[in-house]
Amino acid sequence: MKMSRMRVSAALLCVATLAAIAAGVTAGDTQPASAPANSPASGQQLYGRHCLSCHQADGGGVPKMQPPIKGGTWVMGEPRALALFVMTGGFDSGARKDSDNGNVMPPFRQLPDADLAQILSFIRAKFGKDGTPVTAAQVAEARASLPQSQ
Amino acid sequence: MRPISLARVISLGCAAMIAGAAFAADDGLTLPAGFSATVVQEGLGAGRHLDVAANGDIYLAGAKGLNAMRDTNGDGKADQVKAFGNVEGTEVRIFKDWLYVSDDVGVYRYPLKKGELAPSGARETVVSQFPQERQHADKTFALDPKGTLYVNVGAPSNSCQEKDRQEGSQGRSPCPLLEKYGGVWVFDGTKLNQTPANGRRFATGMRNAVAIEWNAGQNALFAVIHGRDSIDTLFPALYNAQDNATRQAEEFHQIVEGGNFGWPYTFFDTKLGHRVVAPEYGGDAKKVPEAGKYPDPLVAFPAHWAPNDLLFYSGKSFPAKYQDGAFIAFHGSWNRAPEPQAGYKVVFQPMKAGKPNGAYEVFVDGFAGDMPDNSPNNARYRPVGLAVGPDGSLYVADSQKGRIWRISYAKK
Repeated sequence: MKMSRMRVSAALLCVATLAAIAAGVTAGDTQPASAPANSPASGQQLYGRHCLSCHQADGGGVPKMQPPIKGGTWVMGEPRALALFVMTGGFDSGARKDSDNGNVMPPFRQLPDADLAQILSFIRAKFGKDGTPVTAAQVAEARASLPQSQ
Repeated sequence: MRPISLARVISLGCAAMIAGAAFAADDGLTLPAGFSATVVQEGLGAGRHLDVAANGDIYLAGAKGLNAMRDTNGDGKADQVKAFGNVEGTEVRIFKDWLYVSDDVGVYRYPLKKGELAPSGARETVVSQFPQERQHADKTFALDPKGTLYVNVGAPSNSCQEKDRQEGSQGRSPCPLLEKYGGVWVFDGTKLNQTPANGRRFATGMRNAVAIEWNAGQNALFAVIHGRDSIDTLFPALYNAQDNATRQAEEFHQIVEGGNFGWPYTFFDTKLGHRVVAPEYGGDAKKVPEAGKYPDPLVAFPAHWAPNDLLFYSGKSFPAKYQDGAFIAFHGSWNRAPEPQAGYKVVFQPMKAGKPNGAYEVFVDGFAGDMPDNSPNNARYRPVGLAVGPDGSLYVADSQKGRIWRISYAKK
């Protein structure tokens, strides 16, 4: 039986995948390492660790589950508002009432100022039409305005 | 039951391909030799479950409401399409002379009159007033031949944490959600105007059993349950991203009365091959729950594949091995990212006397296409609903565009 070109390609891909698995290397097997401070890649790495599984690599979210952030009001808006939203999460957010998404963003207040600044800078640049970077000092200032118990 | 690893799944699929058992079908779908897929309906947007009447009429539920379809000229494509009713939801099932449907808060029915494509009769309410929830809200259901109605009431939570999906938040114990959610509730499906208070909890510990089905041959209820998300981001000291992408099984169970299937306290770990205590409840990535308290699944399917419909094949046109076996529509993952997404296929699980009879096989694949950026939004199609037609063909509904395929078998 003659194999079609598509089948041959698929078979080759399978062989490659199985070989990779046999070698203990699965696709995307990257537990992100800690990025060096101020490294341009670190915002992307931190996004991959904390945000990507819900908002996805393209910032498009998942329909009816997690909202897209690409081109949204948060990433396009003021850094301080964005920092406050990410640190407090969506549980008590006004936007939550009108959302048809199933899942709520937890607060990310546990992350240090520098990590949050890198994540926010990354999503503003990538999903917010070249938004300006956010500094750790801006995150710290926003954090200081939050109630201690939150 | 031995769990099946990702590598095993890939190797099974690849073995089939390399052996020449699969070929490109309509829409680039791949099917076993002898089967073909034809497009019945190009797309009505965001389809969910579907059912097919004895005369071949197709009823599709979806986010944009209900649609009835008929092929009047026998070319295999629906040429009459009628939107009807006012129910936007997931389930649709023909039972005797009724079309039962559901949304997030109730189960309803329309009379099916002979010759009528779209029901003209008034909608009747079977059960209403389930609490409106945002998460796992679809009230999918099954009916047994007596008209007993088994409703999946999914839990509005990932793992019953004090703060849902928040890193390190502990589990609520006992989980109060289980009083009203996270299980199957039964009603008399022939009675009208019931509320959840008229129902009885049949089984518990089920996070969300969208794929729920009565098996007429076994006179028993079965379900494939959506497993939990995010063990890595919630408990990074215990699990990494690859663990999250692979370890929490999608569990296939026979749902017995009084059964407790372990959510939120446990999950079935496909890497270890046994059930473990959830990290929210003191689990350390290997701790085993009390022996005998929760059953092992009949089959542990890979994490996050999202089983969204289950069907026991009772048609006559497929080869003998498919008789009484289970088809499962896996909608496909989102929570595997940054690992490659997976699922997005229809799987066949051979069954004998209600038990698995060999390893499952990928039956239809190729729905997702290239899926740029590894994003579920970019999947070309996502299989979500299954039904069998009067000639034994299998119908598959898609949630991306509402496309419907008819899969038939031609003897070679």
